Amino acid sequence: MESSDAELVTRVLHGDVNAYGGLVSRYRDKYARYAVHMLGNREDAEEALQDAFTRAYRSLSRCEDPERFGAWLFRILVNRCRTSGARRVRRGQTFVHDESALLNASEEHPAEQRMWREEIERAVGELSADQREAFLLKYVEDLGYDEMSEITGVGVSALKMRVMRACDRLRVLLKEVHSG
Amino acid sequence: MAEWGRTTLEMIVQDLQAPVRLDESFERRVMVQVRKLYAERNPRHGRGWMSFATTFAHRPAWVAALAASVVAIATLGVLRVHPRGERPATLGKPEPVKFVLVAPNARTVAVVGDFNNWGLGDSALLATSNQGVWSVTASVPAGVHRYAFVINGKQWMADPTAPRSSGDDFGMPSSALVVEDSTK
Repeated sequence: MESSDAELVTRVLHGDVNAYGGLVSRYRDKYARYAVHMLGNREDAEEALQDAFTRAYRSLSRCEDPERFGAWLFRILVNRCRTSGARRVRRGQTFVHDESALLNASEEHPAEQRMWREEIERAVGELSADQREAFLLKYVEDLGYDEMSEITGVGVSALKMRVMRACDRLRVLLKEVHSG
Repeated sequence: MAEWGRTTLEMIVQDLQAPVRLDESFERRVMVQVRKLYAERNPRHGRGWMSFATTFAHRPAWVAALAASVVAIATLGVLRVHPRGERPATLGKPEPVKFVLVAPNARTVAVVGDFNNWGLGDSALLATSNQGVWSVTASVPAGVHRYAFVINGKQWMADPTAPRSSGDDFGMPSSALVVEDSTK
């Protein structure tokens, strides 16, 4: 039977460092998706996620509810992505696509799907960081506003506004694709 | 707007919810970092520890002889295990104590006891292995203590070479340890 998060956390805290691999394996893909969409490329996403995992390990004794290790890790990742995103803006980098994801899409979908996906990636990348974060948490990660507020430290009404504006912005950005 | 909201938004979300898969090299990279942090937190320190480890490394017969047993050994002559009930009055000056466990098949070994809050949080003493001989040195206040080994993060084991403690904590087996103040 698969160990629970709490069991794995307890084993790690008792010196079984390899048990942490179980937590990494459990959450790496799930949270990679958020990081890739938030940061816009796989390289930065992997760096942010790796950093989140190591930060979580370093602070594991402060994880108040080991059964919810995943949520706690996700909060660390969201903060890490904010830092990484801010750094990227300061460096003046442009948003780039997740090349490998696009490559995979090209193998599975017709050309129209590829174009659509590229447009989505571009549009999401053009959202402000705050709007992109709120949109991804709400719709892609399927979180409730209370959870989002807990993770981001932003009030519910402000988050609702960000999500609404993100949707409006995406509508404008994707208008041509949608009408076409 | 309503139509866009229902259809296009759903298509966007469906697309963005497609899984992103990282290969196993990612996990290996994370675990390299984690093990590095682990090693930094648990440095080998103390001349007594090093000389002890070296002795074992050059005398594999000792390893075989001890393979079925667990021993707790004090460095600098500060540890004596007393019969149950013979206790110093109060806790005193911290003294270095070396715990050794011969467990060739163990993946991890930790020492937990009343001196480190039974390993709660990240306080467990993590032993390092030399050919299956696990050891760790810790500063333990002079006084009477209870302790146990935790194998592979879950299996509690009392020290069979030491007296069992009079009251097992958490229903788990534990052993008695008396640390004497070296200055007295």
